[in-house]
Amino acid sequence: MSGAISTQFTVFHDVELCGYAAAGERKAFGELVRRHSSGVRQLLRRMGAQPAESDDVAQDAFLAAFERIAEFRGEGTFAGWVKRIAARQYLRRLQRERRLGGFASEAETDALEAPSHDVDHRIDLDEGLRALSPAERLCVSMCYGAGLSHGEAAEALNLPLGTVKSHVKRGLEKLRARLAPSGSAPDGDESLEGRRGNG
Amino acid sequence: MAEADFERRLERLFGEAPEFPDHQAFAERIERRLDRGWTARRWLIGVAGGAGGVIGASQLLMSNLFQRVEDAGQSARALGQGLSHVAPSSEMVSALSGGYGVWVAVGLAVVTMGFAVARVIEEI
Repeated sequence: MSGAISTQFTVFHDVELCGYAAAGERKAFGELVRRHSSGVRQLLRRMGAQPAESDDVAQDAFLAAFERIAEFRGEGTFAGWVKRIAARQYLRRLQRERRLGGFASEAETDALEAPSHDVDHRIDLDEGLRALSPAERLCVSMCYGAGLSHGEAAEALNLPLGTVKSHVKRGLEKLRARLAPSGSAPDGDESLEGRRGNG
Repeated sequence: MAEADFERRLERLFGEAPEFPDHQAFAERIERRLDRGWTARRWLIGVAGGAGGVIGASQLLMSNLFQRVEDAGQSARALGQGLSHVAPSSEMVSALSGGYGVWVAVGLAVVTMGFAVARVIEEI
């Protein structure tokens, strides 16, 4: 690869960069990392990882993605693909370190802070996620951040599907209360399992 | 707000990640790790190839290959000399093309005919 092409990687589309990376062009993969590392690291933090831990996992996820880049067919986005790899790696780490102990319980756990309904401004997602229990936060982030179905999340977490659905439902209710604009209340007890509920 | 709208909004919010100030350094760290891995792989392959070459060469030396090659060369020379004696000489060619060859051919034809007739009689 000539130096001219390697300096122009910034103009290529993700799929083209994946093609170059699959041919062993590491600079092309570096450009992909440059574009998507913030999203991956942010997702891991939203799942509950500490900053240093999220960076470690994100690094491992990108290295794993490079090794398996030929498997990426461009059917979804590269960002979504690498986020799923990162989410699964983080879960493996949690399982290895036996930090998923309390997640099997479907009982409602206390939120880190009670949701307040008197805010008249939109609270951002990160603040909303802080109101969720670790299990709810993890399940909601996996399903809506990493794009896993409930079934895939249950499989990755090694939890029953019903447990994951319960965590997601409660997490969504809390987030909805937090993220809803002032004055609009959640729509009753309408199912919040959402579009992923069939997975 | 409709449920689907809220979920779409949530997905959009998850997709919106502020760029980390150190994203450039992070990417360079990964590139370095990839380069390191690549260099290590090349070294590993090189060392394995070198070790294989040394082992192969030592095995060749230990099996007296050169002596065997020399012996084989001598055998080939001896065989070549033997074959040159067997090669048809001009006297043999002229003998075959003369009366002697005709008689040999007639003899072979008679034997073949006798064999064929015996075979036909057996069949009848």
